[in-house]
Amino acid sequence: MTERKMAFVQRLSWVRIIEHWVNASVFILLVVTGLSQKFYTFELSQRLILFFGGIDSTRLIHRACGVLFAAVLVLHMTVAVVGVVLKRWQPTMLINKKDFFDAIDNLRYYFGLSDHPAACDRYDYKQKFEYWGVVMGGIVMVATGFVLWFPTVATYLLPGELVAVSKAIHTNEAMLAFLIISIWHIYNAVFSPEVFPLDTVIFTGKISRERMMHEHPLELARLEGKSLEELLQEKEGFSHASSPLKPPPND
Amino acid sequence: MRLTQGFVGLIFVGLGLAPTMALAETTTQQELGQCMSCHAKPGLVKRLGKNEKVSLTLDLQAYRASAHSSLVCQDCHTRYSTKAHPVGSYTSREELAREHSGACTSCHSLDQLSALPVHEDVLKPGHPVACSSCHGAHEIQRVVGGGAMVKERAYCLSCHEQHIEMTFENGETKDIYVELRSLLASPHASLACSDCHVGFSRDHHPDRSFQDGRYYTLVLSESCKRCHFDKYTRTLDSMHYRVLMKGNANAPVCTDCHGSHGILPVGKDHSISAKRCMRCHETIYTTYTKSVHGKALLGEHNMDVPVCADCHKAHEIQDPRTLTFRDRIPEMCGNCHANKELMSRYGLSPAVVKTYLQDFHGVTLSLYKMQRELEGTSSANPIAVCSDCHGIHDIQKLSEQETGLVRQNLLKRCQACHPGATQRFPDAWLYHYEPSLEKAPLVYAVNLFYKIFIPFMVVGLLLQVFLHAWRYIVNR
Repeated sequence: MTERKMAFVQRLSWVRIIEHWVNASVFILLVVTGLSQKFYTFELSQRLILFFGGIDSTRLIHRACGVLFAAVLVLHMTVAVVGVVLKRWQPTMLINKKDFFDAIDNLRYYFGLSDHPAACDRYDYKQKFEYWGVVMGGIVMVATGFVLWFPTVATYLLPGELVAVSKAIHTNEAMLAFLIISIWHIYNAVFSPEVFPLDTVIFTGKISRERMMHEHPLELARLEGKSLEELLQEKEGFSHASSPLKPPPND
Repeated sequence: MRLTQGFVGLIFVGLGLAPTMALAETTTQQELGQCMSCHAKPGLVKRLGKNEKVSLTLDLQAYRASAHSSLVCQDCHTRYSTKAHPVGSYTSREELAREHSGACTSCHSLDQLSALPVHEDVLKPGHPVACSSCHGAHEIQRVVGGGAMVKERAYCLSCHEQHIEMTFENGETKDIYVELRSLLASPHASLACSDCHVGFSRDHHPDRSFQDGRYYTLVLSESCKRCHFDKYTRTLDSMHYRVLMKGNANAPVCTDCHGSHGILPVGKDHSISAKRCMRCHETIYTTYTKSVHGKALLGEHNMDVPVCADCHKAHEIQDPRTLTFRDRIPEMCGNCHANKELMSRYGLSPAVVKTYLQDFHGVTLSLYKMQRELEGTSSANPIAVCSDCHGIHDIQKLSEQETGLVRQNLLKRCQACHPGATQRFPDAWLYHYEPSLEKAPLVYAVNLFYKIFIPFMVVGLLLQVFLHAWRYIVNR
């Protein structure tokens, strides 16, 4: 049982940790400076704008953050594409058929129709949803953001109405991103009873083997060169209290 | 006042016409008694000239109460005695009264009278005013401390209803005639003269000297603040006051716009107000008369359209070239153009202000305004406001113009801040239209998509969260 001594698994590299820090800070600043422009008649918005030194500097901060966000996004995608093409990376983030079934399996499990939650690989469907949300939403926000920043240049190439369309997309997409992050991501990373008070993986890069067993059993099995069945049998031996999401013990 | 004057004068004549009585020595009472034997009779009338009549009846009671009660008739009516009663012949009441003024100077010397400033104009050679015009004749009262006239206004008007000229230090003259009719028609009809002309009364008529007529107006307009202090303090913040303080004496003060004795109540006819401004701002007024607002005001007598004071205010008129003034323009236009009921009368969209404020420029302007108001920090960027595209005093109805022309004007305005803007650029602005299937269908579609998608997503994710938490609780 040498595996059971290995309490932690190194899941994320320091690059990802820094990337998350940058992304999170930039996102918060973008939301604060952006939504206070969207809802500029609210007193809180006006206070925030004054705090940032007026609307001109608020916009400057927003645009600077936008540029930083765009840089992180472009860098991430370039590295990912190059890594996958050179086969140095596994395309583990790509959405596949299994993710849809996993989502359905988990729903069945939530409703008590199934005994087990879906057994996921390195990234589960919730993480992939968020990841692609950030990537696709990010591309949309960066593109429309630049149109709004440089409307004169944009209208050299595009009809004027597309500036207005860009604004509609930018402002709505921002609202959507803000709601998804504040509901879904914050629940999963902070308030979910499985991780409360905080999912520290993104900050330490390490995940407990126990959590790997529940959340990413396929990856753990691959890492340890076992089959999923072997792993699940081992899981039966764990105390119930530590894993409330495991199937009821009488089954 | 003419009547009083004439009446007073005629009483002199009346006394003069008393029947001749042969008495060597008479006491006051005796002589009076003799004159009064005729002149106490009511209805004693003399005809003067062609049309005028004058009563010769004397009110003995009033005479007894007068300052001259100790005098006898002959003291003034020197040509008349118990022996002589010449027939006077006068062509008018005025002439009659004037002739009799000679009697006054036999006791009250001209030097003595000239010492009083109130007499300054009256005593000029050839001046038509008779003493009795102000002081009365038989019922004359002590001027100082006496009830010379029942009402102050009547007292003042006895001179100022004449065309009296006031001379200033620079030789300029001013007619200080007061037109009673317009005074009585004004909201100030019930005020006394001294309410505004402080320092003047029946007893005091200070001798004041002004360098010129304009300075006189400036000083006198200070009286208005005694009652209208709120308006006065507002004018202290105005452009006009600032110009005045810089030494331009032609800057308008209260009376320049409102008039003085003939002051007008706040009228229903707004064109009067606009025409006041025209006196100095003629070019702008002419431009205004050609605008959609000016044409409606003057051509159709439309009282819905704005006049100068609606945008510039009446008292706290600001410098319209400042950013603070610019900040307020959408609000000014919005006073009418965001009013649904008013706009529906003319088939105009009340959404023009809302659509502006939702757009980039509107947001920026609102926030600049907020910053200026709260922090005093100012951005020098002149954000496009209504007047930048629509014009200021020359605002036209847009349907009258070619749509292409609007675009052309708009593009020029865009290029002022966005150098290099192309023909396509103005279309980034939706021309005050709210996105719909007809106008800006793409924007409409995007908004509609998110309107459905965002709630769908939020509800879906919340369900996931609750289900997850629920399963956790059940398993425990």
